[in-house]
Amino acid sequence: MKGFVTALRWIVFLVAAVAMNFPVISTLVTSLKTNAEISSNPGLWVQKPTLENYARVLEVTERLDIFSYLFNSAVASLIGAILPIILAFPAAYAVARRGYGRNILLPVVVNLRAMPLVIFAIPIYMMYQWVGLLDTRLGLGLILAVVNLPLALVILVNAINDIPIELDEAARIDGAKIGSIIMRIVAPVCRPALATTFIFGFITAWNEFLFGLMLTTREATPVTVGASFFFSASGGGVQWGVAAAVMIVAALPPVLLGLIMYRQISGSMTAGAVKG
Amino acid sequence: MLAANKYENPILLAPMVLFLLAFLGFPAVVDIIYSFSEITFETLRAPKLSGIGNYQKVLADPEFWQAAGFSLKFGLVTAALECLLGLFLAVFLSPLFEKRTWLLAVIMMPMMVAPAMVGLMYRLVLHEFVGPLPYYFYIWFGDSPSFLGSDNIFTTLVIIETLQWTPFAFLLCYVAYRGIPAELREAASVDGAKALRMLWYIELPLMLPTIAIAFFIRFIDGFRVFDNIFVLAGSGPGGSTTSMSIFIYLAFFKLGKIGTAVAASMLLFVAVLCLLVVVSRLSQRRASA
Repeated sequence: MKGFVTALRWIVFLVAAVAMNFPVISTLVTSLKTNAEISSNPGLWVQKPTLENYARVLEVTERLDIFSYLFNSAVASLIGAILPIILAFPAAYAVARRGYGRNILLPVVVNLRAMPLVIFAIPIYMMYQWVGLLDTRLGLGLILAVVNLPLALVILVNAINDIPIELDEAARIDGAKIGSIIMRIVAPVCRPALATTFIFGFITAWNEFLFGLMLTTREATPVTVGASFFFSASGGGVQWGVAAAVMIVAALPPVLLGLIMYRQISGSMTAGAVKG
Repeated sequence: MLAANKYENPILLAPMVLFLLAFLGFPAVVDIIYSFSEITFETLRAPKLSGIGNYQKVLADPEFWQAAGFSLKFGLVTAALECLLGLFLAVFLSPLFEKRTWLLAVIMMPMMVAPAMVGLMYRLVLHEFVGPLPYYFYIWFGDSPSFLGSDNIFTTLVIIETLQWTPFAFLLCYVAYRGIPAELREAASVDGAKALRMLWYIELPLMLPTIAIAFFIRFIDGFRVFDNIFVLAGSGPGGSTTSMSIFIYLAFFKLGKIGTAVAASMLLFVAVLCLLVVVSRLSQRRASA
């Protein structure tokens, strides 16, 4: 009986894992097929694996440049992951240690996560047009920082709350200034939380689509938007092998990060949800 | 701990607050002004106040209500399905994960893929001629439904969203389930409670707050859905899959109806604000009770 239940659990796990990862699995399989095979064999196995589609994706043409999309995504995501930490860390210190802003600022910022950002998209588009941030990596990165800020604040407030207060009181008595307390004493102890915030922010920023679509046209196109260009690459129908390969390339960085750091990410997701 | 001087705390908060004011506060003000103005792309810098005309137009627009209805239904259905499935997986598979936590990574993987990419991937997966799913439907059932046809598209989109985000509900439920104190379970099993009764009378009530949070977060995300639907179906047959986000996007970028788009944004803002206030009141009452 016990063995039967365990077997049943494995079956349920496998079915769930395959069903939820089905789009990635079938895209990966398709990306390894030749063009001829894609039309003759749509199934989930490959007769003659080939890397030809990936070679085609990496070819830079006048219209399509995967390297520039990846570079844009990387730069914008780095800004979008680092800036919230710089902005939220001192604020998190004030909230956690002094209770300053705990009653109004913290709930307001935390609840921003629930606001559909499309609400702000139109004025931001106009604002960017005026100040020349439209279609720039910096402009995209700044918006991604807005997206990541609420969760960064929650994670960092929780992290600072977990540090014994004696640590910074001792430093204060020794005459340390607030800046050096935060930088030299609190920040090193918070390193795991800072790393988690960064990784989670990077993945979120990389995967963002709406602002990439609206705020970029040519120069700063991120890979989530750029990937869709490959669907209409050549005059004829969609080249499914190439399209599949580009989707795998675009999805790879966050997925790899996620697989390596799944513990930290699950921790920050649940903490952000439950304590936020 | 006391601050060294009275400016210290405000200075610590200032960078974040100024940043948010610039990137959300200012746009919010622009939104409000524009929503009460007659506005075109030519008069962006000199909006002419015109009262509530934009709101009247939006509220009389059947497409707006269709989008609102779609978003509401989509958010509720996907959040409910995700929570039910996630809860089931968390409880039933918990013994597997206890010894092999890396299995969690497999279940979490769908969340790491951009929803826009997932939407594009389904263009391949569901494609009549090259897609694996229709292929297997033909082999096994002799026929394949038209997944993106007007009859099935809502179901298809719900399944796509649910499959990607059940892991989130699962994760919250799993952590809550593992967090139930062992003494509670032991005390109950001494009483001879069977596993199902223990689940119903002890474990589920303890997990309920977490499930409610998961439902709320997933509802909001489902309600504001954009990426996967936009790349997979656009606005769908007859606008049937236009979510609120897509409605606003199309009104602004495709139709150039700035007033409509901005007024719809403000209505969405107020609706979400009301929801947030209600939810935070409820959770405060829970916390104080």
